[in-house]
Amino acid sequence: MIEEGRALFLQIAESVEDSIVEGSLLEEGQAPSTNELAAFYRINPATAAKGVAMLVEKGVLYKRRGIGMFVAPGARDRLLAERRAAFATRFVGPLIAEASKLGLTPDELATLVRDRAAASIEGKTE
Amino acid sequence: MTTSDTVIEVAGLTKRYRETLAVDDVSFAIEKDKIYGLLGRNGAGKTTVMSILTAQNFETSGELRVFGEHPYENARVLRRMCFVRESQKYPDDALPKHAFATARLFFPRWDQEFAERLIDDFQLPSNKRIKKLSRGQLSAVGVIIGLAARAEITFFDEPYLGLDAVARQIFYDRLLEDYTAHPRTVILSSHLIDEVSNLIEHVIVLDRGRVIMDDETDAVRDRAANIVGDTAAVEAFAVGREVIHRESLGRVSAVTVLGTLTDADHRELALAGLDVGPVSLQQLIVRTTQHAAADAATDEGALR
Amino acid sequence: MNRTLNVIRMQLINRQTYIWIPLIILAGSFVLSLLVYSMIPGDVPKYGGGSQAPLWYFLAVGVQALTLTFPFSQAMSVTRREFYLGTLLTAGVTSLVLTVVIVAGGLVELATNGWGVNGWFFYLPWIWESGPLGAAFFYLVIAMLFFISGFWSATIYKRFGATWLTVVLIGLGAILVGIAWLIGRLDAWAEVWTGLVTLGSVGFAVWGVVVAVVLGAIAYLTLRRTIP
Repeated sequence: MIEEGRALFLQIAESVEDSIVEGSLLEEGQAPSTNELAAFYRINPATAAKGVAMLVEKGVLYKRRGIGMFVAPGARDRLLAERRAAFATRFVGPLIAEASKLGLTPDELATLVRDRAAASIEGKTE
Repeated sequence: MTTSDTVIEVAGLTKRYRETLAVDDVSFAIEKDKIYGLLGRNGAGKTTVMSILTAQNFETSGELRVFGEHPYENARVLRRMCFVRESQKYPDDALPKHAFATARLFFPRWDQEFAERLIDDFQLPSNKRIKKLSRGQLSAVGVIIGLAARAEITFFDEPYLGLDAVARQIFYDRLLEDYTAHPRTVILSSHLIDEVSNLIEHVIVLDRGRVIMDDETDAVRDRAANIVGDTAAVEAFAVGREVIHRESLGRVSAVTVLGTLTDADHRELALAGLDVGPVSLQQLIVRTTQHAAADAATDEGALR
Repeated sequence: MNRTLNVIRMQLINRQTYIWIPLIILAGSFVLSLLVYSMIPGDVPKYGGGSQAPLWYFLAVGVQALTLTFPFSQAMSVTRREFYLGTLLTAGVTSLVLTVVIVAGGLVELATNGWGVNGWFFYLPWIWESGPLGAAFFYLVIAMLFFISGFWSATIYKRFGATWLTVVLIGLGAILVGIAWLIGRLDAWAEVWTGLVTLGSVGFAVWGVVVAVVLGAIAYLTLRRTIP
């Protein structure tokens, strides 16, 4: 869960964002508190607070005084857009690099991806 | 950087024993209510620094302020601190409960209920004399005092040596829980870096009496990367970067490179067919320390 | 001041060390002495040195007060001054307890004419010549002196090491031997004994106070730079 080599507060923020994107944390739903996050991951509460603060600054969460942190409306859409943009760098780039190592042409790669994606969607709807 | 939140300020602190400099021109500032890790090898000077901060030892030169004052013979300041050292001595024939009863007398914020829960957690025998306790049980006494005293500045000098992994985890858990409920400044020295890395907000690394790192833990966490792959490609990438560790096996090399990798770097690495791996805090500190030692050795060699 | 008083409570938390053991040693020594006295025939007054036994124990307590309790007091964030004063006060209080027991014992001894066997443990003529108060003063000072001597030598040991302690003790011994030799040279032993008798136990105790103060001051100054 917690990875080496990356700032903890970023990972905390990401894990909250993950649950928003996945749909397990709904808009206007209450996000886990700083202390809950810290206790769950067994990390320093200040680090958890930093992650939450980052999400507030980003507009993903907002604070209801006296109650806690809540998911901002439209957060999910914005996160999806952000992740799609990053998708190219994070996943597609390495995919292409690995494919070229193996000698696959762009067309071969495209066919491979399309077929796999189609099969996986069929699998899901069955 | 000194702010109004600074509780400890150290400038140019030096401790000399005859020929050796146990603490060599050390400067740092501790801010309140944060958990600090004071890391480094055995003999790096961590205990000496903590002893000097609590007036149990004395500086040879340098400035030191705790809550704005010098701690030596300063009851006002000392009563707000607690230092549990690694091999603490206790009065002869004392039972653990005597030690806790005494702590209750001197630490204004002592929480007896908390102490009792901890005694349970660590399974400390109540009728065995301290001098007859096992190493782990002895450490537990120190840990319980450090935790239940709730001192505004609490130092833990590797007090959990002798505790097995389960007991250590109990200590970390209780520390985090209590710190969350009752924030205070905690300075934890350890050479078990990976175990404590998620607890500490700020890292100060000592090596041979000097500060070689003083930073937020999160800032340091992604400061290095392991690059693995074909030796020629690896070396090509490493040009112009600071390499703190190098290993080779045949045509494959692994280097640890300092400096956060940019997106451009990642593209370059992907194109070169090199693998990038994370560097744990422990690896980073160990390799930085070894690198500093190697540098010092070459300097000494050059001077000859 | 509060914390200094708490040092006394800290020292007394394990009541054994300061209260029970000295009394047990005293009691044991007393019983043994009485047994021996009752076995000696004839109605000659019998004296023994048994009542000094707990004093030697105070020497040991003084040593341990530093070697074991001082490091612990540092962990309790107590200053060296608070520790020093509190520990001396503790020694004073327990010396007082011991003194009261000994003087009370002496009074009983007088009343029973040596426990019926003309055996004298608590009452020694030279010590009691100025009366029970004089005897009390004497025992109080001597007990404190034993404690401070133990504390002082342990402080030297902690701060400067075993070698220096040995040097100092040998040096002191040499000085004492030197004085004895000088007295012998001047053939002055008779005068010395007379002087001692004239001085009396109270006068002797006053000199004891002087020595205790000197040792105590040295111990404090040394303690100020001692590392636990």
